[in-house]
Amino acid sequence: MVNLTIDGRAVQTKKGQTILEACDDLGIFVPRLCYHPALKPIGACRICVVEVKPGPPRPLPACATYVAEGQEVVTASPKLDVIRLELMKLVLINHALECPVCDKGGECELQDLTHAIGVPEVDLAAVKLPPNQDYESQLVERHPDRCVTCGRCIHICRDRVGAMAINFTLRGYFTELTSGAVPLDCEFCGSCIDICPVGALINKQFKYRSRAWEVTKTEMACPFCGGGCTYELHVKDGKVMRVFNGGDKVVLCGRGRFGWPVVEAPDRLKTPLIRQDGQLQEATWDEALDLVAAKFRQITEAAGLGAIYGVGSPRATNEANYLFQKFFRQGLGTNNLDNPGRYTYIRALQGLAAVFGPAQVSGVELDPSRPPAFTSPYPVTDDAKGKGFPFVLGKIDDLPKADVVLVVGADVTPELPPLGWALLEARERDAFKLIVANNRRTKFDRYADLSMRCQPGTERLLVAGIIKALLAAEVTPAIRASGVEEFKESLKKLTLKDVAKKTGVEEAAIKAAADLLAQALAPAIIFGAELLAQDKGQENALALADLFLLVGKPGAPGSALYPVAEKNNTRGVCEVGVLPDFGPGFAPVDKPGAALPEVLALLEKGDAAAPQSLYLLGGDLLRFAPNHKQVEKALKKVPFIVVQDAFLTETAKLAHVVLPVAVHAEQEGTFISSDGTLGYLPRALSANGVKPDCLIIHEIASRMGYSIPTGGPANIFKDLAKAMPLWAGLAPKGSEPRADFGKDLSGQLVPFDLDVSLPGRRPLTLLVGKSLQHSGSFTTHHPCGALTVTPRAELGMNPDDAQGLGLTEGDAAKVTSSQGEISVPITLNPDLPPGLVFLPEHFADPAANALTLNSNLVRVTISKG
Amino acid sequence: MIMPFLKGLATTLRMVFTKPITQQYPEERREMYPRWRGHPELTIDPDGRRRCVACTLCLVVCPSNAIKGIVPAEGPEHEKYPAAFVIDLQRCIFCGLCQEACPQAAIKLNNLYELAQYDKSLLILEIDRATQKESKLRTPDWL
Ligand code: SF4
Ligand code: SF4
Ligand code: SF4
Ligand code: SF4
Ligand code: SF4
Ligand code: FES
Repeated sequence: MVNLTIDGRAVQTKKGQTILEACDDLGIFVPRLCYHPALKPIGACRICVVEVKPGPPRPLPACATYVAEGQEVVTASPKLDVIRLELMKLVLINHALECPVCDKGGECELQDLTHAIGVPEVDLAAVKLPPNQDYESQLVERHPDRCVTCGRCIHICRDRVGAMAINFTLRGYFTELTSGAVPLDCEFCGSCIDICPVGALINKQFKYRSRAWEVTKTEMACPFCGGGCTYELHVKDGKVMRVFNGGDKVVLCGRGRFGWPVVEAPDRLKTPLIRQDGQLQEATWDEALDLVAAKFRQITEAAGLGAIYGVGSPRATNEANYLFQKFFRQGLGTNNLDNPGRYTYIRALQGLAAVFGPAQVSGVELDPSRPPAFTSPYPVTDDAKGKGFPFVLGKIDDLPKADVVLVVGADVTPELPPLGWALLEARERDAFKLIVANNRRTKFDRYADLSMRCQPGTERLLVAGIIKALLAAEVTPAIRASGVEEFKESLKKLTLKDVAKKTGVEEAAIKAAADLLAQALAPAIIFGAELLAQDKGQENALALADLFLLVGKPGAPGSALYPVAEKNNTRGVCEVGVLPDFGPGFAPVDKPGAALPEVLALLEKGDAAAPQSLYLLGGDLLRFAPNHKQVEKALKKVPFIVVQDAFLTETAKLAHVVLPVAVHAEQEGTFISSDGTLGYLPRALSANGVKPDCLIIHEIASRMGYSIPTGGPANIFKDLAKAMPLWAGLAPKGSEPRADFGKDLSGQLVPFDLDVSLPGRRPLTLLVGKSLQHSGSFTTHHPCGALTVTPRAELGMNPDDAQGLGLTEGDAAKVTSSQGEISVPITLNPDLPPGLVFLPEHFADPAANALTLNSNLVRVTISKG
Repeated sequence: MIMPFLKGLATTLRMVFTKPITQQYPEERREMYPRWRGHPELTIDPDGRRRCVACTLCLVVCPSNAIKGIVPAEGPEHEKYPAAFVIDLQRCIFCGLCQEACPQAAIKLNNLYELAQYDKSLLILEIDRATQKESKLRTPDWL
């Protein structure tokens, strides 16, 4: 604590605070314009000046001066008033003052400040500058004539987003914000809009649609990726006006901030559809639900209770997924269900579970008092102990505390933007080291201390190389590890030279990486869905789990594994038990059902043991499963498919009954983000005829005579959380409580597959991955903001490769693999090494998974066409 | 007995020949005083375009919720204008706060006073009927 006097008042403040922060804590108002809590002090406006003794004989900016013992601070005096007034006049010279049409009007910090300081008139004159508005850029509109040159936008774009897309040009009165060339070419995250104190940066989706004070604000969890961001949804007359994120953390990604119009997409389903005479026809809810219940009953009577197979949804809420598994387990009495995470995230969990063991929680007890809504009834006590794989998963807020981060097989920002923001924050510490191992150059190679470029698909071998180097250096694991000898044995034949040859990474780099990890006090490992989607994704996770067992320091905050759970509830759908082998909280079940890929294979073969019916909770199987053709064949053989989805997806087109569901803020519920925090989604919009998932499942269940808890999501959550000691302490907006558990970790080094060959002889390797602007196929519906930036699938290609094939930007290319052929326009991308081409996975046409088989990597031939 | 009668007659006769102070409404219409507050109207500029920029300040200030349904829109030159605007004369109390609040002099109280209607719905003015046709404003020279 620091003792000082502010305005004659003796006060105590925290060490390392600035005078402005101290004043804010104490409720002393100091005017400011450029300061923002999300940024480090900028010190551009000087409106926050205060008199400080001892100090120089002139006022100092409160936002950039730190408190010191014995300081005497004066925040208001006639002298300061004169300075502030003069400064305000300078800010206001030729300010556009078009408040009536400026979207910032009503929430403008300049308006507020003008009132607070009481500027009577501006008696200064200066040449008028041209307004230079930028109406061209997508999503962001710039009005330099309203800019107060505070620099906030530049700082957030550079230090928090890492895009460095904007900067000032010219000097003094002529200073102007520029993106180099009109229009803006950036990540389109919109963070600069929400941090701008004035109306110089405007959200085009919001422009002229509403005044700031007319909206109803609801705080909600973002329903796109697994990042777990929360933001305010602004609604007027039942319509979404914008997504806004003020407060302390302004950063969001583009899909979160601009993706909401998916709610208003004209192609959304409004009524249930029933297949009649081969065509999907509109039907009433009662007709559709009665039909589903009758058919389900008929099928189970004829072919047994296991004849219905369920696929949960990583988009749906925990409550819906929980009810869904309850419908199968308690209603039908089968474990025949799974979720699409099977192709990515579950592989990570399986890999980690093999090394760190199953989830076990002890020392938590049910609190007999009634907890508030959406709060776990298990408080975290001092005896709470956690064991097993969930406890090596990291929390994003802790990541900046790690001192060495290894990123493997992940283009961090498109995969999970908050991980990228956390890395940027970590970089601010000098001791921080970043190792990036990818098959192409990604955004974070720019910040990497060690950047390794490996051949596509050889990441696991590279990890094996690092492990080999660690073992050679006799590293002793900080975590209790067994199986060391067998493990060493499995790597005996491996030489670093071999690894270097096959992966294309130099031996010295591998050793350097091993050194950095061995010396790290809090190493963390990030790996993406890109790595998990390979056919041996589980082996990849296993290799990384082994590596973490060797170097990890789970006692140190931030030292953890960070696998990417790509969608808003990918982690939640697994934790609430939409798995064939585990119930809620990863409790093992007696008779495990079949996993999704097995079921699809059975269906394709027309096996007698294959299910007679599929019940799909969202999830466009045809779009996300890596083998489009087989899945299509399999689905066409199913006698009865029920799909709950907001859109008539390709899978829904093959269904017999399609039930339209509520999305985004049309329903209430919770999500578990990639890092295990609980996001709360309140209902802020009316559902307009569609129903939330929970309700539909409930109605089907009750028509079949099963009793399933109801009474709204809060009630379902109560039932759910009771079954989940793993969620002890979980509460909306609360920090991830698993971090507060005492951890009792031990592990077993498990040998993994070292074969990284990619079958086939075709000359190029295609990687199917994520695009920054999209999240699954959810954002590919008009008028989603993501589509203005990335409207279609384009095949990324190294310029040399393209030249060799006689292709230039925008040409159509014919891509052929052993599985199929598609035609797609190409875009030149020097970040891709020769031999590697990249296609985003989100779009229906061309469907990237028409080329792949059980992996996101496939050998292809490309020709003009 | 006859005297009061004659007195009355004299008064009557005197009045018959003096100038009357009443007006022959509706044959004759009264010119309103400059500060008369008629009903609010959207004014037009010399080119005949509405001056309103849909800032909704009048809507905010109106104490009786007489102004509603302002739908902002963007014009070809990125200008903001109201695509819809409703003045509900059933609710208006002719206080004039809207014209005080308007930063564009786009809403003004005119000098009309014949507002009675057989059909109430006629008192709800949508944007076109709320827009001034010709200058019937209290001071003809203010524009
Ligand atoms: S930035 Fe603020 S002060 Fe400037 S025109 Fe907009 S609302 Fe008015
Ligand atoms: S939208 Fe995001 S990336 Fe683009 S300039 Fe603004 S802050 Fe930078
Ligand atoms: S555009 Fe906004 S945030 Fe950026 S410098 Fe100008 S006023 Fe500040
Ligand atoms: S990072 Fe993910 S959770 Fe955050 S705003 Fe973007 S899509 Fe939403
Ligand atoms: S005159 Fe008064 S009551 Fe009538 S519209 Fe204007 S503000 Fe409202
Ligand atoms: S707020 Fe301190 S200098 Fe701007």
